[in-house]
Amino acid sequence: MKKPHDDGTKISRRQFLGTSAAAGAASIVPRTAGAEPQDAAVAQVVQTKASPPSPEQMAREVGAATPPPVASPAVKRPGSDLMVQVLRDLRVEFVVSNPGSTFEGLQESIVNYGDTPNVMPEFITALHEESAVDMCHGYARSEGKPICALVSGTIGLQHASMAIYQAFLGESPVIVLIGREDFGPRQQHTADDIAGMVRAYTKWDAQPRTLAEALDALQEAYRQATTPPCAPVVVVLDAEIQKQEAGDLKVPAYRPPSIPTISRADATKIADGLVRARNPRLNVGRFRTPEGIDRAIELAELVGASVDTRATSGPMSFPQTHALCGPGNDTAYDYVLGLEQPGAQASITGPHLRTLDDRDIIGIGFGDIRPPVRPERNRSGEYDLVADAEASLPLVIEAAERKLNERDRKSIASRKTTHRQANHDARVAMLRKAVEEKRAGWNGSPVSLARLYAELWSLIKDKDWCLASGTIFSGFHNVQLWEHDRPYSYLGMYPAAALGYCLGSSAGAALAARARDRIVINIQGDGDFNYAPGSIWTAVHHQLPMLTIMHNNRGYHMELMYLQHLAGVRGRGTDRMHIGTTFRDPYIDYAKIAAGYGMKSEGPVSDPDALYAALERGVSTVLGGEPYLIDVLTQPR
Amino acid sequence: MTKLTLFTGAIALVTASIAIGQGTGDVVRGKKAYYDQACYACHGYQGIGRRNVANRASGVLVNEQVFLLYLRARADQNPDLSTQTMPHYPASSLPDDVARDIYAYILTFVDDPPEVGDIPVLQAILDDAETE
Repeated sequence: MKKPHDDGTKISRRQFLGTSAAAGAASIVPRTAGAEPQDAAVAQVVQTKASPPSPEQMAREVGAATPPPVASPAVKRPGSDLMVQVLRDLRVEFVVSNPGSTFEGLQESIVNYGDTPNVMPEFITALHEESAVDMCHGYARSEGKPICALVSGTIGLQHASMAIYQAFLGESPVIVLIGREDFGPRQQHTADDIAGMVRAYTKWDAQPRTLAEALDALQEAYRQATTPPCAPVVVVLDAEIQKQEAGDLKVPAYRPPSIPTISRADATKIADGLVRARNPRLNVGRFRTPEGIDRAIELAELVGASVDTRATSGPMSFPQTHALCGPGNDTAYDYVLGLEQPGAQASITGPHLRTLDDRDIIGIGFGDIRPPVRPERNRSGEYDLVADAEASLPLVIEAAERKLNERDRKSIASRKTTHRQANHDARVAMLRKAVEEKRAGWNGSPVSLARLYAELWSLIKDKDWCLASGTIFSGFHNVQLWEHDRPYSYLGMYPAAALGYCLGSSAGAALAARARDRIVINIQGDGDFNYAPGSIWTAVHHQLPMLTIMHNNRGYHMELMYLQHLAGVRGRGTDRMHIGTTFRDPYIDYAKIAAGYGMKSEGPVSDPDALYAALERGVSTVLGGEPYLIDVLTQPR
Repeated sequence: MTKLTLFTGAIALVTASIAIGQGTGDVVRGKKAYYDQACYACHGYQGIGRRNVANRASGVLVNEQVFLLYLRARADQNPDLSTQTMPHYPASSLPDDVARDIYAYILTFVDDPPEVGDIPVLQAILDDAETE
């Protein structure tokens, strides 16, 4: 992907570079290829030391100040109003932010601009930038489209960086807006090339120099984020541009992205294979949006294919209990089409992160030490196509429709009937085995995690729900016991396997759920909770329908087991493994923490016979539009 | 034959030839040791976990001698035999008397869950699937 500064335009450098304050900014920023001074004068400035901030600047920083002077009282149509209009036109529902003193222009426009201020987008208050981006990530996984995080300068971005990294590896569309203020007293908060700090794990960034460029950049950011490979993008918005007079500048018309599809010839070849096959099969992975699921259902039903789904490991895949989902009547498949998954005869996958060769290789440097995770493309299939499966499916469907004759359609109808019965029988057989296993330890205390999942399922199965938290540490019991039939049924694991994610991402999923009469379930590990618990307050403040159930095993349990294992290998005993791995002395009271943030809560629940009633109260409260937390003392796994 | 195969064979022979026995250790001390050694990490607080040990679910629990043999076989006899599951417990770090106490405590784990038909939420999952 082209970097914004590679075309010789350089980053924005206005006359402030001649000021001593700006010189200070430049002097503390490592020089990057994209941030070379344009001329000798600038280079000289770079070497100059910063002057101390003025009394007014310092007064503002410590909070005892009068509001900053308005840049221009004559401004009638602030530039930031147009930025908000761009987001509104793109149907960006939320801007999630921890306030900072580099974007009051934009923030003021969000909450005051237009006939319906603070709607589309609505300003959501996060208590930490990592939480803000995690919320965007959770929303994106749930809806397949982006919202914005708004962070302040270098410091906000660094707080946000872990969550950006997680969203990048999750291939999730997130738009990160960064306020930049060169005239502020804290030169540590600004830099010539702020986005450079996260360039290794973002897809695209821009630092526009004018308001017109800023509006273009916001639209391009949306295009980039939603074009596969979907990923976080960054736009740096200078404070002066936010506050400047827009005059008669118009918001440019939005041009939707061009999503790469397979060719019609390829579609015809694949359709021919599916129609001619005696027993076709679809391997369905994760689509970009719910639209892909609808098209996959259409294709499967059209050609009578049985389907393998990833709906139990993440969002946007084929409905788990659809009649065609399962092994089918015959597992000797003679044509397997992969859709964002490998396929034996053909596959349509990507483009994915591996195509971003100019990002995580050169980045901020760690790519030079060890190339980051970039899964190799599975080329085992005979006909491997790099294109977006979702966008390509209509072509395959159209081609298949043309090829099917009446005899084919009768044969397919018969095949679908046999698949339906076989898949039903397979699911029942799986469940018979599963429930036998899940009853083990049913009456144990602390509470069995299988019991927790089973009892919770009985309360939500008839509701519109989203399981937003990863379930690897709590036993994956949802995989067998729950039915994952909607695009957002299960949002999957932490893409970077980094803790501190579930609470924020669940709150983001709950942002989406709030207006859609949906509830969000967050089965929350205790270790993960303690990184950034402030999302509890956000959920209360914004009345998010989020039920948090603590999987409270009082420790970093995986690390406990790893440590125990190594101590055993070294033969030095395992009686000190609790050091650094457990939450003892004191135990943490999560119900009290939640209550402190204003959330209705209860617990700790350790009596298994008390669990169901607690879950009932929780589900009932969340259905009423308020978040709730239940602290459950659980078995370790 | 690999060391692992030899070891597995030895366990199988001993298991087959030794009758089920009771522990000689102290259950109260065993409960504390089970917790202190973090046995609960994998086996749960009542023997139900990633690896179930309640109801003598594992063959190495057939009697105390087999249990000790299992703990020591890799740790003391074959310390280089890597393990992917159960940590090594050499006598130097887990003395025999402590191991016996743990064994005695494990034997108190009796899991007697209700039948699926007596757990409405599990039965409902089956019923729902059958009627879909």
